[in-house]
Amino acid sequence: MNVNNQTRVVRFFNAVTAYPKTILFAGLVLIIVSASFIPTLVKDTRSDAFMPADHPSLVYRDKVKEIFGLQDPMVIAVVNNGPAGVFNPHTLSLVDWLTQRVEKISNIDPERVTSLATENDIIGTDDGMLVEKFFDSPPKTQVEADKVRTAVMDFPLYLGSLVSREGTATLIVAELDDQAQAQQVYAELLALVDEAPTQPGESIHVAGEGAVSGYMGAYIDADAMRLNPIAASIITLVLFIAFRTIRGMMLPNFIVLATVGVALGSMAASGVNFFVITNALPVVLIGIAVADSIHILSQYYEEITRRPQDSSRDIVTRTMVKMWRPVTLTTFTTMAGFIGLSIASVMPPMTFFGLFAMIGVGIAWLYSMTVLPAGLTVLNLKASKAFSVDTIRTTGEYEVRPDIYGRALSSLGRWVNRHHIVVLLIGALVVAAGIAGGLKLQFNEDRITIFQKDEPIVLADKVINQQFDGVHYLDIVIETPEAEGLFKPENLQRIEALQAYVETLPHVKGSTSIVDYLKQMNRSLREDRKEEYRLPDDENLVAQYFLLYSASGDPSDFEEQVDYDYRMANVRVRMDTGVFTSQKVVIEATQQYVDSHFNASGISANLSGRVNVDYHWIKRLAESHFGSVGVALFLVWLMASLSLRSLVAGIITIIPVAMSVLLIYAVMGISGIWLAVGTSMFAAIAIGLGVDFAIHTVERLQVLLRDEQRTFDEAIEVLYPTTGRALFFNFAALVLGFGVLVTSEVVPLVRFGSLVAVGVSVAFLASMTVLPAMVKAFKPAFLFPKEKVATGVAAEILD
Amino acid sequence: MNIKYKKLALVSIGAVTFALTSISIVNAAGAELPAGLQIAERINARDEGQMVSRNLTMEMIDRRGKKRVRETRGFRKYFSGENGEEKRTVIFYLAPKNIKETAFLTFDYPQAKKDDDQWLYLPAMRKVRRISASDRGDYFLGTDFTYEDIKKETKVTIEDYNRKTLREDNIDGHRVYVVESTPVSDEIAEELGYSKVIQWVDAEIWIVRKADFWDVRGNSLKTIHSTEISQVQGIWTTHRLEVVNHKTKHQTVFTFSEVDYQSPVKDSLFTKRTLRRGL
Repeated sequence: MNVNNQTRVVRFFNAVTAYPKTILFAGLVLIIVSASFIPTLVKDTRSDAFMPADHPSLVYRDKVKEIFGLQDPMVIAVVNNGPAGVFNPHTLSLVDWLTQRVEKISNIDPERVTSLATENDIIGTDDGMLVEKFFDSPPKTQVEADKVRTAVMDFPLYLGSLVSREGTATLIVAELDDQAQAQQVYAELLALVDEAPTQPGESIHVAGEGAVSGYMGAYIDADAMRLNPIAASIITLVLFIAFRTIRGMMLPNFIVLATVGVALGSMAASGVNFFVITNALPVVLIGIAVADSIHILSQYYEEITRRPQDSSRDIVTRTMVKMWRPVTLTTFTTMAGFIGLSIASVMPPMTFFGLFAMIGVGIAWLYSMTVLPAGLTVLNLKASKAFSVDTIRTTGEYEVRPDIYGRALSSLGRWVNRHHIVVLLIGALVVAAGIAGGLKLQFNEDRITIFQKDEPIVLADKVINQQFDGVHYLDIVIETPEAEGLFKPENLQRIEALQAYVETLPHVKGSTSIVDYLKQMNRSLREDRKEEYRLPDDENLVAQYFLLYSASGDPSDFEEQVDYDYRMANVRVRMDTGVFTSQKVVIEATQQYVDSHFNASGISANLSGRVNVDYHWIKRLAESHFGSVGVALFLVWLMASLSLRSLVAGIITIIPVAMSVLLIYAVMGISGIWLAVGTSMFAAIAIGLGVDFAIHTVERLQVLLRDEQRTFDEAIEVLYPTTGRALFFNFAALVLGFGVLVTSEVVPLVRFGSLVAVGVSVAFLASMTVLPAMVKAFKPAFLFPKEKVATGVAAEILD
Repeated sequence: MNIKYKKLALVSIGAVTFALTSISIVNAAGAELPAGLQIAERINARDEGQMVSRNLTMEMIDRRGKKRVRETRGFRKYFSGENGEEKRTVIFYLAPKNIKETAFLTFDYPQAKKDDDQWLYLPAMRKVRRISASDRGDYFLGTDFTYEDIKKETKVTIEDYNRKTLREDNIDGHRVYVVESTPVSDEIAEELGYSKVIQWVDAEIWIVRKADFWDVRGNSLKTIHSTEISQVQGIWTTHRLEVVNHKTKHQTVFTFSEVDYQSPVKDSLFTKRTLRRGL
């Protein structure tokens, strides 16, 4: 920094304080303009949104969807634990009632609603085969209902998929026209279930991937809408305690408004969707926006206390001249952290999160540099009760008497100064414990754990996965080189063997393909003899079975199993768990089987479906997670090194942040919280939020030690009650603000709140203890005056 | 109200509506349009030959444009009986190879209550298989035609619908009457799978050139378009039928060739024996 720069800074803030109203007005206009875009934000709660749209597994899955028309469906289970199970007139008519109404819900494809009321039975007769619905109108007597039971129980294909093997539950599976409308459809289904005429003993549950993604949006939104304002209020309360003035509460909130407004507004304007994790953005931005203000306002009140006779404009300018540098440095390093998150993330919502958090940080800085001083200039000078006069200095300046917080921090400072070796040892122990805990960290994911255990959707998921073969679908797409390749018995036999193998894998409860239908037809055409439940061994016969079926079936009946020219087939494998590590076993074993046993010159198989997409998604995340946290840390280090012109400065700055990340992992590892999609972003956010503490400490130490050439003991005496006090309120605001999220209904938000609070606490404590202790122990050169430069220039500049 | 009375009530309501709509309506130009019923009767009065032999190519196309093409040779003949005319139809598949010699035989009885009899011969099994009586609204052999569409061919069922002549129009360069038909009851609608049909009926030769169908929920279901209409041995004959299902985007194209109303069609063609033996 040279004299020129310094005069430029002074000139800048003189200008800012000369036209405060213009600046305030411009600031207001920017907020209004940006916020006006917010209503156009499009919500996107699909879990697919977490994968880049061009990822091979998504592209392939979409192709499969296109060919077989398969979607992530809504699944409605009707359960009756009575002696007849669901096969009684009332429950069957309930199924019929629900089916008819589900078909009428807009956005549900009426052609793709499957239930006992829609599905066909393939029955052998004396001289032929009959394809007909299990019932046209629901049975009126128990005898008729028993007949339906016999028919269904004799159709192996539907057992475990459409009807539970015990006959106590049956499903209505509905596909959506537009997956993005899942939230609305789920709400309508729940309303429908509410008015459904159930009898005692009957219960209805709604689950399925469609429902999960549908509910997730509503669930998280509702909570975020409730909690973000509470977080903002609590942070405001912290501001009041820190400054005990109206402006001390209002001005930072104005900056919060701008930060959140511009970040979300620019998201909307650039057509980026509002994802599930975007709900965390406002609270992160609130925390960041407030941090800059806390430091500037602390300095402002200190200046007022020191020279109460000065004009408002002088005080504001002096405040800003002192504070622009640390605030700018923290802005740069925080932005660097978010850029790291943005570029290193493999999930588009995270990339955007990082990007728009970065924009928000930039806006917070801009407003703190302009609107905040402008606002303070306009207002009459008013001292804060938190900053009282102590003694009069010889120079005519008053000394600030530290309040209780300042005094407490002073004590902490003196203790750290006296016991710096102990501090370093404790720090090392904490790191060691952190590593031990972190090693327990598990990479895993199960989307249903987003919800509290007593949520209807969790119960529904449990019931359905227990009673049926599960609603987690792995699709295996079989491809043959030419049309009607699937008529070939050898190909069909390969598929049969593949299904038999996959069904031996853990958590795989069943599978369905065209093979199963052909077996049923074969049996039906051979007097329904059980031993004829096998594949026909003649290519022509297969073709003729399909023709025969078409005599009473619908043209689109096998759409989900085989493509129109019988070249491709889909095997749908049902799993009863959504846990990544369990799905991983199945995916990898299946892939290996496909590679070594299945693929041949005339046939090949590819994995697809929700389970496969999730597998690739989570695997990518697992592979890239530590790399992306590393990139964020590296960029923060680089930015700190560049700003402070010292690689060592970068290292010293990064240590508290690295400790906070480590401890987040440790807490997760010890408490069994999985490193998963949601939790994977916490570390990077903690970096962005936590780096400020270290930067402020280092910057102030640099000013005190190098520029003002104080001794280390003196520096500690000044640092703690001033910068330390501001950092403490910064920390309190963040911890309490994020702490509110712990009261959330949404499990990931609870974790988000608590883990970020852990990270912020560690970063604050380490910056207040380990960092000064390291400075005392190692005396890094960048903090101390160079022999030659150590003239009075620096001191002159800063006073 | 028990079911019997309900039916009776529906029928009488139907009859009243029928009577009302049958009264000739007057179009904007002042010229009188023939009543819907009149038009239906004209359609059914058209000669379609005592018997016919013809080739039929069925092309089925799914929403992705993939095709299944089947070549067949078919025969139809009316047999007089004490209850009226019984219609028998047989279709022999010629291609593709894997369904060659497969054959489909239908007896359509004049009594409305009596279900059709249908058999399919599967050469790979060397067995004739009986196919259960299908609902009128069921799809015919993987096409977008229902059994009712196929059975009536170019005719209509008078008693199923109430008809209303909407206007005169032009289609494919021909003058047509636009007739709206609604099933007389919900039950009939369910059975047919249609809640409304609009037909464009040629005003000279009384062939339905185009028809739009709506499903029982009132959604646009499909459109049948009949083209390449010419006289064969004095009988107006459609040579091409195109159906598009608007819901599934599935399409069917029937192309008739070598249509012959005069060459004798042996009664013995319409037997299970012939199914087995082939043409």
